[in-house]
Amino acid sequence: MKVRINVIVNGEKHHLEVKPNHTLVDVLREELSLTGTKKGCGSGKCGSCTVLMDGRPVNSCLILAPQADGREVVTIEGLAGREPHPLQKAFAEKGAIQCGYCAPGMILTAKALLDVNPNPQEEEIRSAIAGNLCRCTGYSKTVEAIRSCANSGRNNRPSAGRKAYA
Amino acid sequence: MRDLDVVGQSYPQIDAMEKAMGKTKFVSDLALPNMLYGRILRSPYAHARIKHIDISKAKSLTGVKAVVAYADTPGIKFGPRTEDWTILASDKVRFCGDEVAAVAAVDEDIAEGALDLIKVEYEELPMVSDPLEAMEPDVPLIHEDKPGNIAFEFKIDVGDVDEAFKNSYVIYEDRYYTNQVYQAYLEPMGAIADVDLSGRITFWVGTQIPNMMRMTYAKAMGVSPDSIRVIVPDYGGAFGAKMENNVHLVAAVLAQKAGYPVKMINTRHDDFIAGNPRVPMYIDIKLGATREGILTGKEVRVVGGAGARVVYAHAIVATACYRADSLYRFKHVRSKGYTVYTNTVPTSCFRGFGNAQMTFVLESALDTIADQLDIDPAELRIKNGIGPDEVSIHGWIINSCGLKDCISKATEAAKWQEKRQLKKPFRGIGISCCNHVSGNRAFAREFDGAGGIVRIGRDGRVTVYAGESDMGQGQKTVFAQIVAERLGVPLNLVHVAIVDTDFSPFGLGSFATRGTLMGGNGVLAAADDAFKQLADVAAEMLEANPNDVECSNEKFFVKGSPERNVPFKDVTEKATFVRYGSPVIGTGFYNPGTELPDAETKYGNISPAYPFACQVAEVEVDPDTGQIKVLNFVAAHDIGRAINPMATEGQIQGGVIQGLGWALMENMVTENGSIANPDFLDYLIPTALDSPNITPILVEPIESSGPYGAKGIGEPALNPAMSAITNAIYNATGIRIKELPVSAEKILKELNKRPK
Repeated sequence: MKVRINVIVNGEKHHLEVKPNHTLVDVLREELSLTGTKKGCGSGKCGSCTVLMDGRPVNSCLILAPQADGREVVTIEGLAGREPHPLQKAFAEKGAIQCGYCAPGMILTAKALLDVNPNPQEEEIRSAIAGNLCRCTGYSKTVEAIRSCANSGRNNRPSAGRKAYA
Repeated sequence: MRDLDVVGQSYPQIDAMEKAMGKTKFVSDLALPNMLYGRILRSPYAHARIKHIDISKAKSLTGVKAVVAYADTPGIKFGPRTEDWTILASDKVRFCGDEVAAVAAVDEDIAEGALDLIKVEYEELPMVSDPLEAMEPDVPLIHEDKPGNIAFEFKIDVGDVDEAFKNSYVIYEDRYYTNQVYQAYLEPMGAIADVDLSGRITFWVGTQIPNMMRMTYAKAMGVSPDSIRVIVPDYGGAFGAKMENNVHLVAAVLAQKAGYPVKMINTRHDDFIAGNPRVPMYIDIKLGATREGILTGKEVRVVGGAGARVVYAHAIVATACYRADSLYRFKHVRSKGYTVYTNTVPTSCFRGFGNAQMTFVLESALDTIADQLDIDPAELRIKNGIGPDEVSIHGWIINSCGLKDCISKATEAAKWQEKRQLKKPFRGIGISCCNHVSGNRAFAREFDGAGGIVRIGRDGRVTVYAGESDMGQGQKTVFAQIVAERLGVPLNLVHVAIVDTDFSPFGLGSFATRGTLMGGNGVLAAADDAFKQLADVAAEMLEANPNDVECSNEKFFVKGSPERNVPFKDVTEKATFVRYGSPVIGTGFYNPGTELPDAETKYGNISPAYPFACQVAEVEVDPDTGQIKVLNFVAAHDIGRAINPMATEGQIQGGVIQGLGWALMENMVTENGSIANPDFLDYLIPTALDSPNITPILVEPIESSGPYGAKGIGEPALNPAMSAITNAIYNATGIRIKELPVSAEKILKELNKRPK
C-alpha cells in the first residue's frame, strides 16, 4: 500500500506515492535522486541526513514520508542560488571538509542557526551543531567556517529559512 | 631549491566545493541499472556449530533474486595475511555478527524480510571473549589448528635487559589495558559488485588498499587477480578500517548468483558488530631509569585480542611490541607479543596501528618515572629523545627529527613551566610524545614504495593517477600540489583520478602514514618524466637546449630569460600534434630503499622517514562529580615540510579529537560475547560540545627522502593524545589511569578512597 504526499523540495512541487514506512531520507535519495542528503546511522544520532523542513533542521531519517506531506523541504542541492551559498564556500575554503560525508547536514544545520541567530557565540555554534557528528575534522575548522559567515551579511538571503532557495 | 609556488600553500581541498554542494557521489550514493540490494544474515551466537541452513523459503519470496549460504561460495580459505576466513561461515560461527547467509532483492525491505525466512539450526558452543582467558588451558579452541588460541607470537630481544634493570635507580612495572574502540567513519562500509559475461568482477568500494584487496579477493573468489577490478569512488572516512571485509565479497557472490549488480552497504548496526575495530591489548610494562633519568631498559608483554579471525592484528601487535623503542635512545629492550583469537568481532587497523596503544602505555610509564625521580616530564623526554641522523636500536635511520623542537614549542605554547609551578587544585597539565613511520617495510613485505602516472592532454589538462586513495584526508590535494609544483602550472590545471585498478599504478595504499611520502614521491617521479617530455617540445619552440628549459606560472622559458616564453597549453597542444594524438604520459616510481627487518632480530630500516610529535593537554577535574574537562590542547608535529598547512592542521585537530574520544568517552562493551552498544546512541563519539579547540603547531625540518621535504601526519596526530590527557589527570589528581577509557565514575571512585 502506498500513500500520496505533496511536498515541496528545493522549491519544486512533487506529488509522490510513497511507502508509509519509508522515511524522508529514503524518498529524497531514492525517489528524487537527491543523494546530497547522506545516511549515516538511520536512527537520528549522526545528523548526516539533516535537511531543512519548513526552515528548521530535522533528521530526515526520523521523519516518515507521510509526515512530510504539505511541507517545504530544502536539501543541500537546494541551498545554493546561482552562486554557492556563503556557508558552502566557507566550509570549503576554511578546511571544514575532509571526507565531506557530514558536510551537507552540517551546513544545513549551520544555515538554520544563522537564520535565527545571525551572530552566534562559539558556544552557541557548538551547541547548534552538536547533533551533527564529524569524525574527521575535530570541529575546530567547522566552527571557524560558521563563524566567518556570522553577521557579515554573507548569510543574509532575505526571509532566510523558508524561502532560502528562491 | 627554488622558491615554491604551490607546495606549502593552504589551498582548500580540490574536491571540497563538490562535497559542500552535495554533488560528490560517495559509494553509497551510486546506483547501476537493474541493481539489487543485499543483506547479510549474521550469527546471533558468539560460538556455535551450524547444524542446518534452510534457504528455500527466502528464495521463494517475491522480489528475491538470490539467496546464498556457504555452499554457494567458492569455499576457499583465505585472508589478507592469515587464511582463516571463508566468505560465509562453513561449519561454525565464531562471533556475534559472523556472516552466515545473504540475500539480494529488488529493494532493501524485501531483502531484510527475506532474512527472516532463512532458518538456521545452531548448536551453541562455549565461548571466550577476553584474550587473556582465551590463552588459558582447557578453553575452547576457536580455530582448531591454533592451540591456546594463539594465532601469532612475536619476540624481540636486543641488548641485555636484565643487566639494564640491575643498573637502574628506579624501575616501574605495571599492567595497562587499552580497550576496543570503533573507527566511526560517517559512511558505513560497503560495495557494489557486478559480474560481466566473462566472469570478471568489478567492485565499487571505499577502500584504503584497492590493489592488495584485489589480490586477497582473487584468492577468495578462486579467480586470477586479473579477473577483479576495484574502483574506489569518493568515500566517507576510514581511519584504518576500510580494508578487506566479507561484506564486499558477499556482494560479489550474490551478483554472481543473481546475474545483476548487487549493492551491499552495512547498516550502522552491522558496521559496529562486523566492521574491524581497534585491537584491544593488555600490556605489561617494565621500565628502568638511572637517577639522572636516563632510560636503561624496557620490557613489555602484549596480549592483543584478534577476535574471530586475523585481519591485520598480528602486525598491529608486532608494531606495539617495538615501534615506540625508536622514540628514545633505548639500548636494551625485550618484547613478547601474542595475537589471540577470541569469539568477538575481528579487530584490525585503526589510526596508530598498535603504536597508539603502546604510546599510551610507554608515555604513562615515563610520566610515573619522572614523578619518582622528581624530574620535569618534559625534561625527561628531552634527555632521552632520539635526534636527527641517529640510528635507533632497531636500525631505523632517523633522517630529519624535530622531536625536541616539538617538545619545546608545545610546552612553550601551553605555558608548561608556569602551569606546573603554579599548580591549582584539580587542574593539571600533561605531556606525551610519539614517533611513527611514513611507510612500513615490515608490513609491506613484497616491496615498499609507489608509482605514479601523469597524463597531460592537448588542452593542458593534467590528470594524476596514484594507488593511494583519498578517504577524506586530502590525499588528492597533496598529489595535485606536488604535480602542479613540478610542472610549473597552477593547481586548477591538475586533476587527480580516483583509484581504479584498471588504470592506476599498483599502489599499496593509504595506510602507515605513507600516502604523502610514498605516493607523493611516486607522482613526483611521474611528473618529472612528463615534464621532460614537454621540455623537449618546448625547447624546439624556444630553439633551446631541453636541459635549459623551465616552466613556471604556466609558461615555458629558458632558464634566466623568463620574458621570452611559450604558454604551457601551446606546448601541450604541439606535443599532441607531433605525437599524432598520443597524449603525454609520464610514469615514474619511488624506491624508498628500506629494508625488510631481519626475521630474528627485527633489525632493519623500515621507513624512509619518521615523523615525531609532542602534545600537551590541560585538564580540570571536578572533585564532586569526577567529570574531566580538557581546557587546552597543544599539538606540535614534526611533519617535514607541510605540503598543505591547512590540511595538515585539519589532520592534527581531527586526530587529537579521536584520541580524546578514546581517552574519555569511547568503549565497545562486550557482554556474553555480543556488543552491547552497537549504535551512536550508546557508543558516543565526540560532538562539537565535547571537543576543545586544538592548537596545532607545525615543525618543519626538511626531510631529504620526502617529496619537497614532506613526511606523513595521519597516525601521529592521534598517538600521543590519550596519554597527554591521562598524564594531565595524574598531574591534577595523582590518579594514574591504567585502563582506557577514563570515566567520571572511575575518577570519583578513586577520589572517594581518599581521606576527606
